[in-house]
Amino acid sequence: MELAALEKQLRTLQTESIAKIGAAETSAALDDLGSSLLGKRGALTDLLRGIGALSAEDRPKIGAIANEVRAAIDAALSDRRGAAGAAELSALIAAESADPTAPGPLPQVGSLHPISETIGAIARIMASFGFTVAEGQEVEDDVTNFQLLNIPEDHPSRDLWDTLYLREPGRLLRTHTSPGQIRTMRAVQPPIRVILPGRCFRYEAVDASHGFEFHQVEGLLVDRGTTLADLKGILDELARGLFGPSTRTRFRPGYYPFTEPSVAVDVSWGGAKDGWMTILGAGMVHPIVLENGGIDPETHQGFAFGLGVERIAMLRHEIPDLRAFLENDLRMLRGLR
Amino acid sequence: MRVPLSWLREFVDVQLRPEQLADALTLRGLEVRGLERWGGNWGKMVVGELLEVSPHPRADRLQLTKVRIGKDQVLEVVCGARNIAAGQRVPVALVGALMPDGRLIERAEKMGVASEGMLCSGAELDATDDGDGILILDAKAPLGTPISDYLGEDVIDVDVKPNRGDLLSLLGLAREVGAITGSPVKYNARKIAEGSSEVGDGLKLTVADPALAPRVVLRVVDGVTVAAAPDAIQMRLKAAGLRSISNVVDATNYIMLELGKPTHAFDRAGVGSGIQIRLAKAKEQLETLDHVQRTLDASDLVVADERAALALAGVMGGASSEVSATTKSVVIESAVFAPTTIRRSAQRHSLRSEASHRFERGQELDLAPLAADQVAALITTWAGGTVRRGQLDSDPKAVGQTRELAFRPERVRRLIGVNVPDAEQTKLLAGIAISVTEAKGATSVPVTSKRTVSAAKGESLVAVVPPWRRDLELEADIAEEVARLYGYDRITPTLPGRDLPGYLPQPTALRDQVRASLAAQGLSEAVTHALVSPALSDRHAEPVGLVTGLLAEREGAAASEALLLSNPLSADHDQLRRSLLPSLLDRAEANLRYGALSGALFEIGRGYGGTKGGPTEWTRLGVIVWGEIASAAPGGAPRLWDLDELKRLIASVASLCNATPRYLPLEAGDATLLHPGRSARATGEGIAGLIGELHPAAPEWRPSPRILMAELALHGLSSGQPAVRRVLLPPGTPPIQRDVALAAPAGVLIGDLVALAKESVKSALSVELFDLFAGGGMAPGERSVGLRFTFQPDAAAALDDAITAEVDAFTASAAKRHGTKVRGAEAQ
Repeated sequence: MELAALEKQLRTLQTESIAKIGAAETSAALDDLGSSLLGKRGALTDLLRGIGALSAEDRPKIGAIANEVRAAIDAALSDRRGAAGAAELSALIAAESADPTAPGPLPQVGSLHPISETIGAIARIMASFGFTVAEGQEVEDDVTNFQLLNIPEDHPSRDLWDTLYLREPGRLLRTHTSPGQIRTMRAVQPPIRVILPGRCFRYEAVDASHGFEFHQVEGLLVDRGTTLADLKGILDELARGLFGPSTRTRFRPGYYPFTEPSVAVDVSWGGAKDGWMTILGAGMVHPIVLENGGIDPETHQGFAFGLGVERIAMLRHEIPDLRAFLENDLRMLRGLR
Repeated sequence: MRVPLSWLREFVDVQLRPEQLADALTLRGLEVRGLERWGGNWGKMVVGELLEVSPHPRADRLQLTKVRIGKDQVLEVVCGARNIAAGQRVPVALVGALMPDGRLIERAEKMGVASEGMLCSGAELDATDDGDGILILDAKAPLGTPISDYLGEDVIDVDVKPNRGDLLSLLGLAREVGAITGSPVKYNARKIAEGSSEVGDGLKLTVADPALAPRVVLRVVDGVTVAAAPDAIQMRLKAAGLRSISNVVDATNYIMLELGKPTHAFDRAGVGSGIQIRLAKAKEQLETLDHVQRTLDASDLVVADERAALALAGVMGGASSEVSATTKSVVIESAVFAPTTIRRSAQRHSLRSEASHRFERGQELDLAPLAADQVAALITTWAGGTVRRGQLDSDPKAVGQTRELAFRPERVRRLIGVNVPDAEQTKLLAGIAISVTEAKGATSVPVTSKRTVSAAKGESLVAVVPPWRRDLELEADIAEEVARLYGYDRITPTLPGRDLPGYLPQPTALRDQVRASLAAQGLSEAVTHALVSPALSDRHAEPVGLVTGLLAEREGAAASEALLLSNPLSADHDQLRRSLLPSLLDRAEANLRYGALSGALFEIGRGYGGTKGGPTEWTRLGVIVWGEIASAAPGGAPRLWDLDELKRLIASVASLCNATPRYLPLEAGDATLLHPGRSARATGEGIAGLIGELHPAAPEWRPSPRILMAELALHGLSSGQPAVRRVLLPPGTPPIQRDVALAAPAGVLIGDLVALAKESVKSALSVELFDLFAGGGMAPGERSVGLRFTFQPDAAAALDDAITAEVDAFTASAAKRHGTKVRGAEAQ
């Protein structure tokens, strides 16, 4: 074959191929064209089989021409691919598009109960002052719940705790978390910093602010030199942690048989909710209680406090009725998160 | 204790406004619960002067009056009372006034005559008990003044703590007020004019056991006329919260409030020739003033005559000697009784009275003779009569003593954390009549009731405690007095910086993680009653028993019984729960009633049981779920809670607790609460419990939504710590999966196949059930079980043969043990 004829065929292939490429619509058609024109068994390879009949000096010439043709077809393919790809992508996006403004389904949102949320909040605040959690038993005995806390049998101060008793003599449901003070002191050497959260029971008619089951958090600190001034300092921080940095506190004398001096703590937020709200009772641990806990009141002293979890939760979350805590209405539980 | 301030001012000067006084008392430990204007509800009622009183033309019962209520204001008022006359000053309710009983005063025609208001009786004002006549005011009562200003009274209500019986009196409170204001406290004892006859004439006093009645004093007043007490007294008692009875009884109550000393007045005619203070005989009978026949106990103290018990000492008088309109002569008994005896009697007979309340808190010996005299004086003033000469006194030598109490001022400073010098401590204590002197030598300081320490000369001071401060016994008691008189508000807050304890693990750490995980998975935490009803407990007795039984084995609380209360508030809450499920089911049912068609609750709470070794408590996780796990996307289908979803949830919790649950079938009799075909025992390392769907026979069951629940004991729930896991860096090769499908004959349990797979293919990281179906050309009852084994080889393909050998060994033993056939296998 002659150089001129082969060259003509190659040029024709170039022209026809570019026309076909221009007419192709999809990436898939272009891929097919690509392999039928430039592939191992493609048209270009076919034509070049005739190269063997050329003279040695013509071969390089035709090689150069073939490369031009290949490059031209390639360029045409690549151009066309870009255009087809963009169109296909647009079509794909258009086909897959939905209305993005729909609100989306909601998750089933869970929640912690306000009682454990509140206990958790107290525990986190107190942990920053080195207090760890300890837990006592709810079925108690008269000795630990009362007598060791300096509340003798037949003392009028027993009237402060209306008690639910078990049938077994001497057993009762703890009326407060304070017996945990005795159990902690007997189990742990000072320095002691613990809080004791848990369920308590009283023989008490149910209304918006009373229940026969409720929760308390007891706090106990015993070391060598902690004072009433320290009690004020820690409880100030607790009040601010629970109710916000602008909370004001008022400390006034209270009465508990197991503390001496005893303290009642009121808080106030000012503004619309003005007035003092009593949130907890506290005091310096009574020397008799220290002694009953196996600690020498001449070398050690400290303070204790006890607060009602429901009352704190009611104030924090503006829950108007204590009965709601045991109702477990999901509408209320989910409202708190 | 309700304190009318005008009464308090008789004992101490008070310049403070009522609000200031209330705050000052509260800050010194006398918590003021309330501050009220007694009579503040007398709106539109004023002082009027009767100008004319004339007969009603058409009604004999009525009179026409002209009442002046201001300079030029005269009203015409029709009145039915007979005790009125021109010139008197009376309370007039104007048109528009709302009476305490809710009646509205309107302009009215009364038998043809217009009435422009109402003249008020004491009863109509709810001020005295007199409903027959108009309340006649003092002739100098200022005309036109609102009645609430003229007769009203500021009353503070002080919460007196159990250790301060001395404050259950106006005199005691006056002492505290005096300490605040610095004003002196005065008590002007009334003088009595004694007649000629002797008190002991025909009356003897014997006290069987002086330990139970350390001092008893009797007075006799003859010739009394029992009637209503004066209006002003009735109003004062009413403001203080007591009902007016009669002039004689009111005299005892008046002195009780004034001095804190309860006394009792007997009708002399009902008392024989002697008063005995003795213990009751067993089954002795006494009708008390409330007309209840009481059977006495041999430990009740009584006031008796030679024939029978007359009164339950310190608690309540008896009907047979009750003062009445016919009483001519009275015996006044003023005694000090042993507090515990009175407290027990009052409790035994469920009779808590103002008197027993005070006796329980202890009484000052000196008040016995004083109160007897004061009551006698008031009786002669209000009811006439003559006081017999002398007192019968069981022990005139039993008088109040001051006590010396040594304390270390340095210890006080160390306790409160403020440098209050010795001199200031002394001064503060002097304000409440505690004089402080230098110790003459070494002293013995009472630290606790069992322990005193010796203080060298110069280290301690001696407080001389007045007899009414029976609560001051220890050094710490003095510290409290100093602190409260100094003022807690003056103590500068500090933070304790030293003496920090060493590390202790938080016992709630793992539990809090479980809580947070469940909440994040859409469950709401519940807190339910620990006290439940027998119905709640019994109706589900078997599953409850099973749960406790199954779990108890791990917790060492086998065979526990329900703990029952001896004094339940109601039958609905008379025992401690053993299982959380009945309460949770009850709450699920309530939520369904409120319209929650889907819901998920959990509780981490205690169960309680009695064992031979005593009561035990354990911590459980309870879960109850129903309806949708999450709402469907628009156009999609919702995921519903079912046994698989519940297992997925439990797997998440188990993994936090490092537990690996396996599920076993329920056993016969396991569960009346649970669906026998859709429930299982959960067991395995670190976990035990029951899970399943509510039994279709349960009353709460409904076709939709289905209710599912679980109660689990989990390792570490009560006090465990989150596990610290080993972290392995994975090799650079991907994991390999092998799927095996087995045809399992009817009756073969998947749990058993999975267990066998895990046991046989030890090198697998996990074995999952990825496919399960029946039908499709298989024999009836036969199921196709697809298991996926995941391996993590160190070098790709190296272990291929070993894996194949292990999986083949599994299919071979499954075939042998359970009769399964391999339906296909695929490597990925």
